[in-house]
Order: sequence, then C-alpha cells, then structure tokens
Amino acid sequence: MTVASLRDSDELQLNAYCDGELDPVSANAFERRLASDQSLKARYDRLVSLRQAVRSLPQLDMPPGLQARIQSRLDAERPSPVRVLRQRSWSFQALAAAAVFGAVISSSAIITIERYSQREEVAREVVAGHIRSLLAPQPFDIASSDRHTVKPWFTARLPESPQVPDLTAQGFALLGGRVDVIGHDPVATIVYKHAAHTVSLTTLPPGQSVSEQTMAGYNVRSWSDAHFTYIAVSDLPSPDLATFERAFSAEVPAPEIK
Amino acid sequence: MQNNDGRAAFDEVFLPHLPEAYRLAQWLAGNASDAEDIVQEAALRAYRGIRNFGAVNARAWSLTIVRNTAFSWLTKNRPKTVVFMNDLSAAQQQELEHEGPHGTRIETPEEIAVFRADAEQVQKALAQLPVQFREVIVLREINQMNYRDIAEITNVPIGTVMSRLSRGRQLLTALLGDLKQ
Repeated sequence: MTVASLRDSDELQLNAYCDGELDPVSANAFERRLASDQSLKARYDRLVSLRQAVRSLPQLDMPPGLQARIQSRLDAERPSPVRVLRQRSWSFQALAAAAVFGAVISSSAIITIERYSQREEVAREVVAGHIRSLLAPQPFDIASSDRHTVKPWFTARLPESPQVPDLTAQGFALLGGRVDVIGHDPVATIVYKHAAHTVSLTTLPPGQSVSEQTMAGYNVRSWSDAHFTYIAVSDLPSPDLATFERAFSAEVPAPEIK
Repeated sequence: MQNNDGRAAFDEVFLPHLPEAYRLAQWLAGNASDAEDIVQEAALRAYRGIRNFGAVNARAWSLTIVRNTAFSWLTKNRPKTVVFMNDLSAAQQQELEHEGPHGTRIETPEEIAVFRADAEQVQKALAQLPVQFREVIVLREINQMNYRDIAEITNVPIGTVMSRLSRGRQLLTALLGDLKQ
C-alpha cells in the first residue's frame, strides 16, 4: 500500500468515526490510535470543529405561505367529477344500490389486495436490505464469526433478538449481523456465507411469512416459529436455500421460555 | 376517493418533511426563491408519485424527490454549475474525488488548526463547493442523515458517500483556509 492510499483510508476512517458510522470494534481500535497519534488527533479536532461550524450555520426558515401555496396547487390537480353527472338517465335507486354493492365488493377487494401488497412490500424491503448490504463495503454492521459476539450485539440494539447459530459445519459460515429497517421497525439480520454466496436472514415479528419467490434475481424463502418470521434472501439456488432453512431450524429448535 | 387517499398519504408522508425539504433545496439552489420553486415542484411530483412510496422511510423518500427535483432544476437553469461526475473522464473523476487540495504533502500537527471561521465565511465556502460534495455535506450536517440514507437519496453506493464526504470536507477546509488570508 502506498503512503497516499494509507492516508486516504485514514481520512475515510476519521470521517466515518466522526459520523458515528464505524462499528463498535473498529471505533474502539480507532480511539486507541487517536490517543497515540498526535497528527491524527489534530486532524480529528479540526474535523470536529469544521462539522460544528457547518452545523451551527443559521438556517433559513420556510416561508410562511409555502405550505398553503402547495396545498392550493394540489387542489388544482384534482380531476372534476364529470363522469358521475353523465349517468343521469339511470334511476336514482339503481344507482344507489349499485354504489352500495360496489363499495362492499371493492372494500373487501381492497383489504385483500392491501394485505397482499403489504406482504409483498415486506419481501421487497428485505430484498432491498440485502442488495444494499452487498453494495456497502461489507454486508454487516458487526463482523464476527462468533455467535457469542453477534447475539449480544443484537440484544443491545433491538427489543427482540433472534438466536444466532453458527452453521459452519452445515456449510453456512456465520459472517456477522446488521440491523435492517422494515416498515418503521429495526430488525435483526444475520449474515451467512456459503462459498461465494451471501445469505441474509432477516428476522421479523411472527406471522409475516412471504411466499417463496424470486425478486430482482434473488431467491426469497421464509418460514416462522413461535418467536419470529424468518426471511432468507440469497443468490443461491432455491434448493440450497431450503437446505439452509433446515440447517437453521435444526439449530434453533424450541424457543426458550422466558 | 382515490384522490382523497392520495392526498391523505401525501399529507402524512411528504408534508411533515417540508421544512427540511426547503432547507435542502435552499442549500442546493443557493437562494430562497429558487428553493421555493423547487420545493413546490417536488411536492407536485411527490403527490403524483405517492403510490410509489414504499412505506419504508418517508423522510428519505421525500428528500430524494427534493434532491432529484433540485438537480433537474439546476441542470435546466444553471447548467454550468452542475458538473455531473458521469460527464467527467475517469482520470478527472479520480482527481476530483480523491486528490487532496494540498497534493500529497503531509501536514504537521502544528499546521492543523481548529476552525474559528465565522458563519458568513463557512456559508460562502459551502456555497462554493461543487454540488455533489455540497449535497452530501448538507445531507449529513444540516439534515443529519446517516450514510445509508444519504446513499439512497443521492443514488450512489455507500463507499462513494464516504469518499465524497471526506473529500468535500477537505475541500471545505482548504476553501476556509484561503478565505482567511
């Protein structure tokens, strides 16, 4: 590694540290370096003061009428109800009956569709979390092949944390964990490696299984136990994902009674 | 009925972030009246596209629309100020994104001073930054978004967010140094 690229990665670490984006292990290592490296400490202090200067810039307030102007512009967007007026030749009762009937049909259809699309949405978000993690420098927030490190890391961050079995013997090595946000809730995702393939296992509150499917080129498989719904996402072929499910379920048998 | 739903969703998803949206637009456009145009246009886009909102992160979704609206506005109205990274050659990109303002010279600890610049200088320096660096700094410091959300809003990988933030702050440091003299 050249001097330039060393400084470059220092600079990135320094920024990530100031922004609170280093994982706890790296942050700790960086703090030790800060304590012993005078020049790094000076750059750190300067960065902190720069950030402070930018953050304390006076901010313009939104002009008072802006929200109202937006509202009235949106009002103008609404189409006028022309179509209903054209149906005047219909008898009024028939129209009313049809409307009631239509409303009943469509509201039940809407509920079904909504439930379905919510589930689809969950699958989409879980897959998006997987894709995003592959784009990041690493697919996890906490890197560890030690289940006794990953589990407490989740416990410290989430109200509910899953068991974290190491499945190396079954061909799925534990890489680490990350927190994904599904809907508005942070949830635990355990990351495994199988040969060159990454498997993200997202754990949701139970009752949210999605159908087995392929989305954006990734296979999605989900199952539930009493505590969690698990959604596995990977570019592994679906038979291998099924193997993964069996291996995981065998290691996470009956949930502990608290 | 569909329209009322859309309107209610818009009120719930986009409207709460209006002050922030305005702030972001103002920093990207550089003045208040253009910011207002951008926010109005963005609100209209958000309303028309409210069905695409994925119920994940309303704030990031709203700011993404504002950011994209601001960029198309800038491209149309001030094409010279927007040098898109994609339009540059690989070598130019490398230079802009990575090479420090002081070249490869390593500063001594004594040279590295803490900032005492006044707000006006900081504001001026930030306004001078190329927009792709300015936006990540504004999203980070003013909107206080994390790397993941910034990556989503600016549609680049997290690694690029990191290098732009780092480089943008170096540029800002250098600009503030120059302004003082």
